Amino acid sequence: MATAAPDPGAAQPDAVPVSPSPGANLMAVTFRIRRFDPEAAAEAFWQDFRVEIDPKERVLDALHSIKGEQDGSLTFRRSCAHGICGSDAMRINGRNRLACKALVKDLSPQRPVVVEPLKGLTVLKDLVVDMEPFFQAYRDMLPFLVTSGNEPTRERLQSPAQRARFDDTTKCILCAACTSSCPVFWNDGQYFGPAAIVGAHRFIFDSRDEAGERRLEILNDNHGVWRCRTIFNCTDACPRGIQVTKAIQEVKQALVTRRL
Amino acid sequence: MPTDVTSGAGRAPAEPGPGRGRGPGPGHPAPLVEPPRQRTTRTPRSTRGNFEMYGWLFMRVSGVVLVLLVLGHLLIQLMLDGGVSRIGFAFVAGRWASPWWQVWDLLMLWLAMLHGSNGLRTVINDYAEHTATRLWLKALLYTATAFTVLLGTLVIFTFDPDIT
Amino acid sequence: MEYGQTRQLRQVHTYDTVIVGAGGAGMRAAIEAAPRCRTAVLSKLYPTRSHTGAAQGGMAAALANVEEDNWEWHTFDTIKGGDYLVDQDAAEILAKEAIDSVLDLEKMGLPFNRTPDGTIDQRRFGGHSRDHGEAPVRRSCYAADRTGHMILQTLYQNCLKLGVEFFDEYYVLDQLLTEVGGVRHSAGVVAYRLATGELHVFRAKSVIYASGGCGKFFKVTSNAHTLTGDGQAAVYRRGLPLEDMEFFQFHPTGIWRMGILLTEGARGEGGILRNTHGERFMEKYAPVMKDLASRDVVSRAIYTEIREGRGCGPEGDHVYLDLTHLPHEQLDAKLPDITEFARTYLGIEPYTDPIPIQPTAHYAMGGIPTTVHGEVLADNTAVVPGLYAAGEVACVSVHGANRLGTNSLLDINVFGRRAGLAAAAYAATAALPELPEDPAGWVERRIEGLREATGSERVAVLRAELQETLDANVMVFRTEQTIGAALAKLAELRGRYAEVSVQDKGRRFNTDLLEAVELGNLLELAEVMAACALARRESRGGHYREDFPHRDDVHFMRHSMAYREVAADGTESVRIDYKPVVQTRYQPMERTY
Repeated sequence: MATAAPDPGAAQPDAVPVSPSPGANLMAVTFRIRRFDPEAAAEAFWQDFRVEIDPKERVLDALHSIKGEQDGSLTFRRSCAHGICGSDAMRINGRNRLACKALVKDLSPQRPVVVEPLKGLTVLKDLVVDMEPFFQAYRDMLPFLVTSGNEPTRERLQSPAQRARFDDTTKCILCAACTSSCPVFWNDGQYFGPAAIVGAHRFIFDSRDEAGERRLEILNDNHGVWRCRTIFNCTDACPRGIQVTKAIQEVKQALVTRRL
Repeated sequence: MPTDVTSGAGRAPAEPGPGRGRGPGPGHPAPLVEPPRQRTTRTPRSTRGNFEMYGWLFMRVSGVVLVLLVLGHLLIQLMLDGGVSRIGFAFVAGRWASPWWQVWDLLMLWLAMLHGSNGLRTVINDYAEHTATRLWLKALLYTATAFTVLLGTLVIFTFDPDIT
Repeated sequence: MEYGQTRQLRQVHTYDTVIVGAGGAGMRAAIEAAPRCRTAVLSKLYPTRSHTGAAQGGMAAALANVEEDNWEWHTFDTIKGGDYLVDQDAAEILAKEAIDSVLDLEKMGLPFNRTPDGTIDQRRFGGHSRDHGEAPVRRSCYAADRTGHMILQTLYQNCLKLGVEFFDEYYVLDQLLTEVGGVRHSAGVVAYRLATGELHVFRAKSVIYASGGCGKFFKVTSNAHTLTGDGQAAVYRRGLPLEDMEFFQFHPTGIWRMGILLTEGARGEGGILRNTHGERFMEKYAPVMKDLASRDVVSRAIYTEIREGRGCGPEGDHVYLDLTHLPHEQLDAKLPDITEFARTYLGIEPYTDPIPIQPTAHYAMGGIPTTVHGEVLADNTAVVPGLYAAGEVACVSVHGANRLGTNSLLDINVFGRRAGLAAAAYAATAALPELPEDPAGWVERRIEGLREATGSERVAVLRAELQETLDANVMVFRTEQTIGAALAKLAELRGRYAEVSVQDKGRRFNTDLLEAVELGNLLELAEVMAACALARRESRGGHYREDFPHRDDVHFMRHSMAYREVAADGTESVRIDYKPVVQTRYQPMERTY
């Protein structure tokens, strides 16, 4: 596969240190990265990079070091670098994670660390995927508070227990790690996917909201919650620790109890 | 798997995904990334209605009922009162003389067939990639199911113990 | 549409209002502007990736839900927190409109934590006090320790509800100005589309900058990689001033060496800072507010402890944030994210072990000068018609020399809303401005120049040197000597930047190229910051000069206004002018906590 896209760094990757912090034990780690540049070649290929890195650093630090010192064309999204913006979800050693929350030491760095783009979304370049279908599914869920009647002058009241009811699903950062870990989504891009259902859950169970029924109607669809096979991949993948499968089950339960 | 994929809002460029080959090749420890089906504001076409919910519920309820029916069936057929050794034409004939056992077996037949077929329908929906494949597989499944269910029902109700 | 000397396909879009940046301020402005006029929001990230989402602790408003409070106390705290460099009329607006801003967000769906009565819960935060400094007050409205995340999500959700038009991953690289009757008007912006490398010209009656801060010129920073001051640089290069750029906030509690933010809410919940002897050292520096003194005071106290040999660790280069005495349930309920950061990045269990912290570069108090309606100033008094700014990119100035915690989430909501309203009102009456000749020409030359450059310098190397220099010389403690060293280094770096080349020559998702552009912005802004810091020969708020350790109200009770000057021979320099501070009812007093 590694036929196209000539790269000087590929043949003899040199280990280049990432700005070492004093006293750190550096270790040479190979990162095996899935490369794809539609302007250079039609096919994707694997490329190995060796990096001298403190194992306590993040995979994102390694990617930055590769981009900065070995191959500037390596392309990935990133922003906050501490797991709150959701830009850098990717498949690392076969599991969806945020590159900024995956520490090298937790990835058996004696062997090559394999880094790929998210599965099930169109790859645009290297680790960058097309997020549009993912956001479209989220937008389809009416992800906003819907109320009727006159607005109160002060805040709407909500007890701490009512607030706690949907707390877990408010944590979602829309990184797509869950949706792109779901085998149903891999095979059927029309499945709304866990993230969209989490987005709906956050409002369905909000005591202030009045459009729960409409969201349930959308999720009752052929491509809605009933496609969930309870595989728990989404829960495992969530970098925010959201109980995604549980949220999906709660939506199913709400549908059954409200419809029957 | 479609080869031309456009993005949802129609703003991002239409890009064929890389690596259309399947599965890990030599030296490739992880599977390749496939493009998804497209999703736009108009897709998926809404299929509103409670069919999927009833299907999902049916699987759970029929599963529980089947456990009772099948275990009871096995107990009577294989264990109690001499067990498997006494099964013969006369035994079946004797049982189907009673409406109780007729209904038992009928229920077992219908629930097992529908449960299995619905399961296969789900598998086809999840894994068949082309609309046409899905259509053909489902047509085959439904035909087989209908044939088996009808034939079984016919046998249970028209069974003649005096047949020679 | 084609213009002369064009090699690339360019697209021209026409809108009433174009908003640059889709963080809190940009989307709050969009919520006001979009229903009133044709609005486009341009963002270099997907909107939910914006750094508003990293804000943790809360949003201040004198709701008085849990104890007595009023907006006048909030105004005072803001002015005192800003070391009296705050424009007092703006601070009053901020504190007054805070209440409705919080209630608006709640009505939009924001899931605030609640009191047992079901109203919005509030907690203590640094520098917020009852009755003009008497004791800490519960004023910060919060949603666990992810208030910013919830604000960003809620605003995005409401933008979806209103059908706001987003242009995601469009980098705005230039501000277009056109002269009408001798007055410079905003004509639109030029944006680079990351996905394709095309240039897009947005012609608009009004433009709102809400593009955030520029903290990435520091190494230890809580800022995102994308906070590179693109908005500030775009207007500065067009000859418009930047205000108070020397004032940069260093948040006391960043994770040691990484700079990841640990909210001040941790101290609001009862967390304590300790030195290597286990002493609660803030008692010495701020007897009343202790650990909840304002951020500049706490950051200086931490560095003083470290310098005097009471820092923790083998190198004595950090102190501890101690949460071990707090009940586990309280940590889980109120501070779940930051405890998880400690576990993930440091491998430390905050239930039982103190967390090593050090001050981290956090927030630019300065920025594009605006009026209280978000109108951008061309000098001390005249506005640029059609140009607006809000949020961290702007300087109203409500933060003065030091921003209080929770006032930035407030700033983006209050002034984001005001800028959105003002821009829409302007667009309702103004004529569509003419584009200047070859509007994208400058951007194209810059982009193509970088793409085709063959120099030997690399972006990552220059950026690392820039960050090292600023961390060493222009951080919490500054002297004429260190600032001078930084300026000399910056001059060298700018020289070497001319020799920079990128490896990625492609058009699609060329982040290599954009990092080079961003580095140019950072270098320019770093120079402005250092030049302003050198000129301000006093210590005030976040700007501390060891050679001038006292506040000097006689000479420096005024805002710095930095202009870019280009001499006839093409050499660039920073010209510093001053603007008076608006004082209404509060006379400067000595600032103690």
